[in-house]
Amino acid sequence: MTQASLAPAARAGLAQRLKNPALLLVPAVLFLALFYLMPLIDLFRVSMSGPTWSTHFERVFSVPLYWESLLRTMQIAFTVACLCALLGYPTALLIHRTRGIVQVLIATAVILPYFIAILIRTYAWMVLLGRNGPINKLLQTLGLIDTPLALLFNRGSVLLGMTAVLLPLMVLSIYASVARLDQGLTRAALASGAGPLAVFWRVLLPLTLPGIGAGFLLVFVAGLGFFITPTLLGGPGDQMFAMHITQQADSITGEGFLQALAVVLLVITLVVVGLAGRIMGFQFIWGGGKLGDAPAKPAADKTARSRAPRRGLAMVLADMLGWPLLRLLGRLPAGWGRATVWIMGACVIVTVIVPIFVVMVISFSKASYLTFPPPDWSLRWYEKFFSDSNWMTAFWNSLGIASLSAVISVSLGATAAMGIVRSNIRHKSALMLLLVSPMIVPPVVLGLSLYALFLKLGLVGTYLGLAAAHAIGGIPIVVVIVAASLQAVDQRLEQGAAVHGASPLTVFRTVTLPAIAPGLAAAVFFAFLHSFDELVLSLFLSSPRMKTLPLMLWADINYQLNPVLAVVSTLEVLLVVGGIILARPVLARGRAA
Amino acid sequence: MAQTLARRELRLESPDMQAARAIPSQGAIGAGITIRNVVKNYGAFVAADRISLDIEPGEFITLLGPSGSGKTTLLNLLAGFQAPDAGEILVDGAPIQNVPTHRRGFGMVFQSYALFPNMTVAQNVAFPMRMAKMDRATSDRRVAETLEMMRLSDHAGKLPSQMSGGQQQRVAIARAIVMRPRVVLMDEPLSALDRRLRESIQIEIRELHQTIGSTILFVTHDQSEALTMSDRIAVMDAGHIVQIARPAEIYRRPQSRFVASFVGESNLIDAQVVGRDGRVLTLRTPGGQVFEAQSRHGVQDDRATVLVRPERIALHDAPVPGSMPATVTSALFLGEVLRIEVVLDDGQTLLIRCPDIAGRDLPAVGARLNVGWGAADSWVLS
Repeated sequence: MTQASLAPAARAGLAQRLKNPALLLVPAVLFLALFYLMPLIDLFRVSMSGPTWSTHFERVFSVPLYWESLLRTMQIAFTVACLCALLGYPTALLIHRTRGIVQVLIATAVILPYFIAILIRTYAWMVLLGRNGPINKLLQTLGLIDTPLALLFNRGSVLLGMTAVLLPLMVLSIYASVARLDQGLTRAALASGAGPLAVFWRVLLPLTLPGIGAGFLLVFVAGLGFFITPTLLGGPGDQMFAMHITQQADSITGEGFLQALAVVLLVITLVVVGLAGRIMGFQFIWGGGKLGDAPAKPAADKTARSRAPRRGLAMVLADMLGWPLLRLLGRLPAGWGRATVWIMGACVIVTVIVPIFVVMVISFSKASYLTFPPPDWSLRWYEKFFSDSNWMTAFWNSLGIASLSAVISVSLGATAAMGIVRSNIRHKSALMLLLVSPMIVPPVVLGLSLYALFLKLGLVGTYLGLAAAHAIGGIPIVVVIVAASLQAVDQRLEQGAAVHGASPLTVFRTVTLPAIAPGLAAAVFFAFLHSFDELVLSLFLSSPRMKTLPLMLWADINYQLNPVLAVVSTLEVLLVVGGIILARPVLARGRAA
Repeated sequence: MAQTLARRELRLESPDMQAARAIPSQGAIGAGITIRNVVKNYGAFVAADRISLDIEPGEFITLLGPSGSGKTTLLNLLAGFQAPDAGEILVDGAPIQNVPTHRRGFGMVFQSYALFPNMTVAQNVAFPMRMAKMDRATSDRRVAETLEMMRLSDHAGKLPSQMSGGQQQRVAIARAIVMRPRVVLMDEPLSALDRRLRESIQIEIRELHQTIGSTILFVTHDQSEALTMSDRIAVMDAGHIVQIARPAEIYRRPQSRFVASFVGESNLIDAQVVGRDGRVLTLRTPGGQVFEAQSRHGVQDDRATVLVRPERIALHDAPVPGSMPATVTSALFLGEVLRIEVVLDDGQTLLIRCPDIAGRDLPAVGARLNVGWGAADSWVLS
């Protein structure tokens, strides 16, 4: 009797548990555990496999070549982050303050390059700064110089290139915090007797500091692992740490040391992110709001909020130094502030958009070497691209891999986003952190760690292998986008549908899915683009017979700088622009809803 | 030339202005404001169309109107967030067009509160004094006084996000008045609050006004708020001030159909003028009923619109002289009043509010009644 009544209850319990949205997290977590966590753990294991655990690390820190490069890497990343913050803030303000078509143009100019491969943007700088590039040409025409300057392959070109490449990231991060501000605050400060400078210093800056901090860290962390730009734009004295890892991977060194190099880079990155996360919350990585752990949330919230802002020593110091400095600036005529914002913003826009234009123009050049402006126009390089079987094979490879990778990323990422937003499991933040963490791991480290696994599994140089590797970075993109659109869905609509008789599946199909469709479409596009542009992982994981488009580009840039690269770049720009134009009605609908 | 002169005047005055801000005195007298022919266009939309308005020192003026009527525009022009396209604004006789917002020395309360989220309540309230470089001791004392006045002393160390809407709005008011400004601008400050809270803060603001003596310009679209609080109400419509008068005058003797229907509930009856006796007119409804009504100047036309407020209509069970027969179409019990709708035999509908007094039952729908009002209860709109 008791057993008979208990059995259905137990079955109901199991059925109930199977309906738990938390289960949706399982596929993505398993995938990341296999292709991401395990290889990284293996990396640590191998790095400690010397005679004693620390042998290889001792070598890293005793050979000047390596630790000097480590210091240099941090110095460059820090400088780039500072430059980006300095230039990015006025640009974000400019986007916020302009209206209508001007705003759209400025925003597009900043955001568009963000979606174009780093490799291509770096290549554009090589063109721009080259001996026969437009800058040297312009200076010669103006009669300022007689012989072309060596603008490339020095520290300056590395800093310039990295800043230009990472600026959009900074602008977007700052803009997010500026746009969230209540417009009334500025007016309230003005009405309280604060001059424009005081409004900036006392109200605008403190409130957008989180955005600046997040942008600064994202740029710094990305800078630490940067590989493409310094390799192409730097000279022998600008070796960054990630470059040593790839070089060591090419030459056969004793196993362990290579891994130790990667571990050092990874640990530094994680320590920086960890410290930053302690201070401002880990959500800076995905630029979203807090995903509270359901049960613990109210209590944690209360303790966090009851902490009144204390003026730390750093703040007092900043106030003592910064405010008088700013007041000195205040002596300048009133129009200067606005002019400065416009001039700096214009510089940023020129920096991010002009190289791309130059490359697009050069793709129509008749000359067989890179020169600007082109002596004559032709489509010969387009013909060469479309008739060269190597390029076309690489193109189809990239297309296939990117499509497969987008399918993997979206199916795993979207279900995981559903699980994280809709379930009530504990440690939600930790899970979210795991899902998005591939964004901050230097690609070089990831590539190295995957190589060993792929060798074992026989995945090196296969479609599936590359697609899976690219999906490691694709999943975080999908999770962030889909989670944001899911959170924006009004749950009362779903409840309304359920009350009126819709089953959970019908609710999802008729209410939830249409609401997140724009986000989902964007996720597909960006996951595809991520894989299509991916170079560093592919460098480690492809075979000589399996080339992707970025790999062909990379080989060609290092081997012979010719306008075919400009053709590929132009096609990529068209792909991004086309994707955004196609997605615009969908995205606009999403915003209106 | 006039421009430079005005600017010089201003510069001459500004040290005094700063002095006035530095040593605010309890119960300082507010500033008089003169608005002359002010125009503000947004493209083709005329937000303020040659508005002129004189505000007495220490007066509580409410700008009342529907959205888009230009009331917030006028407030923004006063605050200096926007510049008028034409016309001038004088504060205590000095033009202020060329004075930037932060030098005007006004206080302002915003609909969204606009409290600085990174500062505590005390820091928010101290902000204007910090900007005026007031010494710490005075500042601390003034903050304490003002928080005490707004009954916020227990919340000084809290962040705005930890407080309720009503508390936040009181902090915003404290910040606006802490400097004892000559002028306080309030932009729909209560519209985000629930009704009960709104009414209690209305009374608080009113009392505050009497204590600090600042000139207050209060923008609202809520007519009952305007009636409760103001010395005078300026009713605005489509960029114009259509009537400015004391609340009772606005309510009892509105100038136009718009004012009559925007402020309070109203019955508007179109009727034929059949007799004139000074300012008292005799009128006839289309149904042939004859009644008397007061007017401001007497009316020359032979048709007129008459306003009868719902609470001025009397109900009679039996016909009395001057009453009209009517049929009840709806009857609601609202607590202190009964709300009854009737239709006259000529089709004119009337809304009636009568107090819930002993012996009066809620009439049934379809019941026949007699309704009537005296000449003093009806008002001819010009």
